Amino acid sequence: MELQKFTYDNKITRLFMNATILWGIVGMLVGLTIALELVFPLMSGGISWLSFGRLRPLHTNAVIFAFVGNGLFTGIYYSAPRLLKTPMFSELLGKIHFWGWQLIIVAAALTLPFGFTVGKEYAELEWPIDIAIALIWVVFGINLIMTTVKRRTKHIYVAIWFYIATFVTVAVLHIVNSINIPVSLLKSYPIYAGVQDALVQWWYGHNAVAFFLTTPYLGMMYYFIPKAANRPVYSYKLSIIHFWALIFLYIWAGPHHLLYTALPDWAQALGVVFSVMLIAPSWGGMINGLLTLRGAWDKVRESPVLKMFVVAVTAYGMSTFEGPLLSLKSVNAISHFTDWTIAHVHIGALGWNGMMTFGMLYWLFPRIYKTQLFSTKLANIHFWLATTGMLFFAIPLYFAGFAQSLMWKEFTADGYLKYPNFIETVTQVIPMYGIRILGGTLYITGVIIMIFNLIKTANAGTFVATEDDEAPALESHASVIDKGHRTLEGKPLLFTLLALAAILIGGIIEFVPMFMVKSNIPTISSVKPYTPLELEGRDIYIREGCYNCHSQMIRPFRSEVERYGDYTKAGETVYDHPFQFGSKRTGPDLAREGVKTGPLYKPNSWHYNHFFSPQKLVAESIMPPFPWLIANELDYSKISKKISVMQTLGVPYPEGYANQAKDELLKQANEIAQGLRNEGIDVTDTKEVIALIAYIQRLGTDIHRTDGSSAFTNK
Amino acid sequence: MSAILFLIVIGIIVAAGFLLIFIWAVKSGQYDDSYSPSVRMLFDNEESIPDKEEPLKKKS
Amino acid sequence: MSESKCVHCGADNGNAPVVWNEKAFCCQGCSTVYQILNENQMGNYYRIQPMSGIKVITDTQSGKFAYLENDEIRLKLLDFSDETVSKIRFFIPTIHCASCIWLLENLSKLDNAIRYSSVNFPKKEVTITFDHNKLSLRKLAELLTAIHYIPEITLDQLEKSHGNKSDQNLLIKIGIASFSFLNIMMYSFPEYLPGGDLLEKDFKNIFGWLSFILILPVVFYSSLDYYLSAWKGLKHKIISIDLPISLGIIALFLESSWVVFHNGGIGYMDSLAGLLFFLLIGKWYQSKTYEALSFERDYKSYFPVAVTRIVDGSEEIIPIKNLRKGDRIVVRNQELIPTDSFLLNGNGQIDYSFVTGESVPVAKKLNDFIYAGGRQIGSSIELVVDKEVEQSYLTQLWNQTNEKDKEISLNTHVNKVSQYFTIVILIIATLAFAFRLTTSLELAVYVFASVLIIACPCALALTIPFTFGSTMRIFGRQGLYLKNTDVIEQLYKTDTIVFDKTGTITLNRQIKTAFHGQKLTESEIIEIQSVVRNSNHPLSKALYDNLPKSTLFSIQNYEEHLGLGIRALVNEKEIKLGSPLFISADVSNESFTESRVYLSINDIQKGYFSFANTYREGLQQLISKLSQNYELHLISGDNDSEKERLHEIFGNKTNIHFNQSPSDKKQYINLLRSSGKHILMIGDGLNDAGALSSSHVGLTIADDVFSFSPACDAIMEASKFEKLINFIHFSHTAFKVIKASFFISLTYNIIGLLFAVSGNLAPIVAAILMPLSSITVVSFVTISISFLASRKLK
Repeated sequence: MELQKFTYDNKITRLFMNATILWGIVGMLVGLTIALELVFPLMSGGISWLSFGRLRPLHTNAVIFAFVGNGLFTGIYYSAPRLLKTPMFSELLGKIHFWGWQLIIVAAALTLPFGFTVGKEYAELEWPIDIAIALIWVVFGINLIMTTVKRRTKHIYVAIWFYIATFVTVAVLHIVNSINIPVSLLKSYPIYAGVQDALVQWWYGHNAVAFFLTTPYLGMMYYFIPKAANRPVYSYKLSIIHFWALIFLYIWAGPHHLLYTALPDWAQALGVVFSVMLIAPSWGGMINGLLTLRGAWDKVRESPVLKMFVVAVTAYGMSTFEGPLLSLKSVNAISHFTDWTIAHVHIGALGWNGMMTFGMLYWLFPRIYKTQLFSTKLANIHFWLATTGMLFFAIPLYFAGFAQSLMWKEFTADGYLKYPNFIETVTQVIPMYGIRILGGTLYITGVIIMIFNLIKTANAGTFVATEDDEAPALESHASVIDKGHRTLEGKPLLFTLLALAAILIGGIIEFVPMFMVKSNIPTISSVKPYTPLELEGRDIYIREGCYNCHSQMIRPFRSEVERYGDYTKAGETVYDHPFQFGSKRTGPDLAREGVKTGPLYKPNSWHYNHFFSPQKLVAESIMPPFPWLIANELDYSKISKKISVMQTLGVPYPEGYANQAKDELLKQANEIAQGLRNEGIDVTDTKEVIALIAYIQRLGTDIHRTDGSSAFTNK
Repeated sequence: MSAILFLIVIGIIVAAGFLLIFIWAVKSGQYDDSYSPSVRMLFDNEESIPDKEEPLKKKS
Repeated sequence: MSESKCVHCGADNGNAPVVWNEKAFCCQGCSTVYQILNENQMGNYYRIQPMSGIKVITDTQSGKFAYLENDEIRLKLLDFSDETVSKIRFFIPTIHCASCIWLLENLSKLDNAIRYSSVNFPKKEVTITFDHNKLSLRKLAELLTAIHYIPEITLDQLEKSHGNKSDQNLLIKIGIASFSFLNIMMYSFPEYLPGGDLLEKDFKNIFGWLSFILILPVVFYSSLDYYLSAWKGLKHKIISIDLPISLGIIALFLESSWVVFHNGGIGYMDSLAGLLFFLLIGKWYQSKTYEALSFERDYKSYFPVAVTRIVDGSEEIIPIKNLRKGDRIVVRNQELIPTDSFLLNGNGQIDYSFVTGESVPVAKKLNDFIYAGGRQIGSSIELVVDKEVEQSYLTQLWNQTNEKDKEISLNTHVNKVSQYFTIVILIIATLAFAFRLTTSLELAVYVFASVLIIACPCALALTIPFTFGSTMRIFGRQGLYLKNTDVIEQLYKTDTIVFDKTGTITLNRQIKTAFHGQKLTESEIIEIQSVVRNSNHPLSKALYDNLPKSTLFSIQNYEEHLGLGIRALVNEKEIKLGSPLFISADVSNESFTESRVYLSINDIQKGYFSFANTYREGLQQLISKLSQNYELHLISGDNDSEKERLHEIFGNKTNIHFNQSPSDKKQYINLLRSSGKHILMIGDGLNDAGALSSSHVGLTIADDVFSFSPACDAIMEASKFEKLINFIHFSHTAFKVIKASFFISLTYNIIGLLFAVSGNLAPIVAAILMPLSSITVVSFVTISISFLASRKLK
């Protein structure tokens, strides 16, 4: 019998490749925009969809899911068929996957800037898009797994293992974290609340970093580095150990994002321990990647591809060392909520994901277009721009992080906060934000040069739509018994995965009622659900992405309690769907903003004016103005639906409250608006700003109430 | 903290799934040879090896 | 041109390269392979790794694989076969680089009857699925031979099926243990970590339950080997290290289950899972094997699979085991003598180098008795079988020696320690139990279990695998391959070293020549060299190598008279080299034991070349160092012609014995053993096999570690010979490390016991002490071994 001939489809690779480049530059430009907005807060010019709070989710989503996402699909669609010696299972599924994914990205780009968001970081997209993601992801999974099943090599190369793990785990993470109850087509509430929601969210958030940004790229590292250097990986055995150790460890590290929060201490500590353990497999992988190039450093000096890979793997090593470091409680006390976190993630994104992607593109283009790279010199220039760009980006932010943290925590000899005014700590770091813009600009310039270089390369060559290869069939003919094995062999994999999905869905259905009905968070009797107006205000708070700059989580440190008020208790957040702990304090914490006796309290009129023009009240403020809140009418048409969804989720509104919600809302709005009018502000009852003020003035007040009464009248 | 329990259950299920896959991999002889695959993946089909690598080198 | 390297194999082309297509090759064989690959567009072979080919020195005769036509043999060799396809696994020792993998996996390009082939590089095996209707097994073997990947097909391949199921099982056990360990650790940590006191009761219960479920596969599957081994030991009235381990596991499990079901906690499940995880990792670390090396070879892996028998004047091929006394067989050039027999016909030139290490062929006359194991050089001979294979001298010798002392392993260091250890622990546990009984039964049981738990000698048990595992790895990197880690302990105990002579302390196939007779002119020397270059006879080769390199003359009328000599015309002179008979020399009044090649030019007798062994480099220094601490013996199968020199090297303390037959050697070792000596035997050939297996450590010296070596405990690269003493010394270093590590782990045990006896063994203490002691011990031994090796083995 002869060799079986088959072809590799480069068209799908090219599609993903082009999408990677397109979304890459888009995501980075959005990033640059929001970096500029931090220095020039008036830049958005009062246009709602250009404001920082709305563009920041667009930036993170574009970079993670559009740029890195398409990047990893490029890598997988190119390497998996070649490693498995078979074309991808289905060209059609590939196309559905590609166009579906791009459609999702477009949908994200069309919803996020317009305020359609769930309000959970890296999982902001609303439920219809979430469902689309799940479906497309399954399409990808079927395509990948069936390709593996139909392979012509007995052994499954380690990269494929990483890809499969990516598929399985991301599917689970995405589904678990995206269980929301819809209010309307573009509005929904997560079923979890407060601390629980935070835990699920960061379990997802952390593992998404692990299984979306790391494992597929590790698989690509194990494919493209050996290929580019033309030498086998340093230790294949180590790569297998690397894989299994990472898989078994990663999934437990999530809680380290919630240190010093209202999460139980033991759960926090657990996250720390597992995070620290992670350093071993991560560094094992890094060392394996770097040592692959041992004895080939002359090649590295010549080849921009290898140079980029080296920086990428080094950045991976730095990030995976820094990660456990940041998850140590004492370090986290300093780093959390500061720009240190931003620096950390950008080492990963710019260094690890970015450089791996660029290296891969420089390697792929000449191959797919059957020519040589247009200019190695330009690629080298890109390399240096990207590397220095990274440094100019990260170093100032590390500095800013330290500066912020030290200033926040500093006390005078008399026992007062040295910088009681938050704005003082902001103005200090503005120059650092400036340098960061320089870093980002360098990096983007590099990418533009790359695009030019790649277009020139493509024009010089001719596109090879399909590549022929031949390989003997995998012993499928050997015997009837063997044949049986052969078909069965692939099936357990698929079967396991399907079983996994079934169990998960079943589990979720069974568990959901449990969440809604009962939660053993210590309840605080004075904590009551939000009034309808506050709920609407909260939704505006989420819509505007306030959580991107303002945390609502006072940690039990003297400096924080002094600055913001009593630390946050788990029981205070039980009605927060979603939680709004935040992860970054570009502005002050708002958890006790409404407490009249608190250090941050401001009257309604102050808030009104502040939303209109922050700079009028705090000259150095870098908060953008929100004029549209003042102009827009509040849409409260869905309030009764919202209340009944909340009731489904276990929020104890009295029975039938949904029907009276609108009246309650209007009544409270009138009170606030009347107050403002009394102070000479010309405002009607049902402006959006009224709802937002109502929410903000509610924040943190429940446990300070002694009379047991509530802003909303129950019974 | 029912969410913790929920996540733990999911964690076990996922990990158990991977354990099964691990057992399958070992049993089907995936790890019998821990060297050859790393070399094998370097092999390309006939014409693509020399013609691309060398001009690239000459350039730089 | 003269300095060029062969495009195929990288060997020196010499000054008369074979040229094809403007490419230079060292020999016709290499050129042929290049042409084959070139025609099939398989030039990648040379691109993946330049000059990756293999040079084949001896021409393989065409009938070599004829026996593969025999159905009985064929079916036994095949892994699988149906109407159309067959699957075969060949051992090909010459697999050495990436190109080999590529070529062997692209065999289908050479012949489309081949459907699938895959290489297992560490094992140097290729598995091929092929269509046997289009390509017979014989043709397949010949195809591989044509491209110089000569499969090694041996008798024991017919009889043994190799598998590595135990490796796989160990891996699965580790996988399960690590899965359970990580999960249980997660449930247990909250109890120890700050804030753990706030852990809700419900959670504690659930975590306990989950831990209990997860520990079950660990206790009932992953730890199985420990119970079995402990039980086996007990049956033989031996307390091995596995006994206290098993006791510890059971105590941990019962105690923890009690805690889970009665107190709603988690108990020591995490410690238990961690313990097993570490122990199994230790096992895995120690189980490193050199897959392509074989330490267990007997005559079966050396002897041919089949022989050619003559029945009624026609030849037939039969499996070797069907050979009967009185059968007439044909042995061709380069074939092995399969059994003891008499020479019936032809000119016997038997190369016994694999048997004795002596590389100069022995001439045999008609009706001479020929021992099995030699290789015929020259024309075919006919033999009459005297004994069946199983009864021939060499195989007999082998079959006797399989009773290698198994008791040794029960007497090992660690088992001695563990005996005392176990007894002491049981006494402590009982005493503590009795003492606490005065307070309450429950506390007494708790203390008893605690003692067993904390005394579980995990760290102790990890010391040996990791120390020996590391040592074995380092030895391997330095060129000494051990069969298993037990050999290190045997090496350590060695007090007596026995050497074989030929091939062991002398260089195999490297011979010194000297000329005796009329002085030769320079041009005569070149003429001689020009002639011997054409011969494959070992003596010709030795002669060629020993003469100074120079530009050769062309020769005419070259003739090789097998068993006699060679002649040719050079510069119009007739040069004859060979036996006295061949050049008509009269040697009747001379008696000599060494090998000689006589020379005549134009029928004028010029004298003879004598051939003598060369001793390995550094032998003198090695011996003088060894003789300070060890009793040395030399047993040689040869005559005493080199007695003087050997005494010079070995000094007078050494016992030197000549004319030792294989069984003499073995008896000699047994004699030494019975006088209580602990023996390291160093040999190389089949004739040492008995002695090697009778000694405590049998070490084989091999020029090519992948090619044949007799059954032994260790194989050493010949080039590392002078380092022998460093290796032996390092086994002592390893033991020092072990003792230090024992001390560390016992310290941990004592600390733990203090907690246990006082009834205060909280899970957190166990959870900290157990992994901490394991990690300390493991890192201590591995780091110190590699550090010490870098200083002492360089």
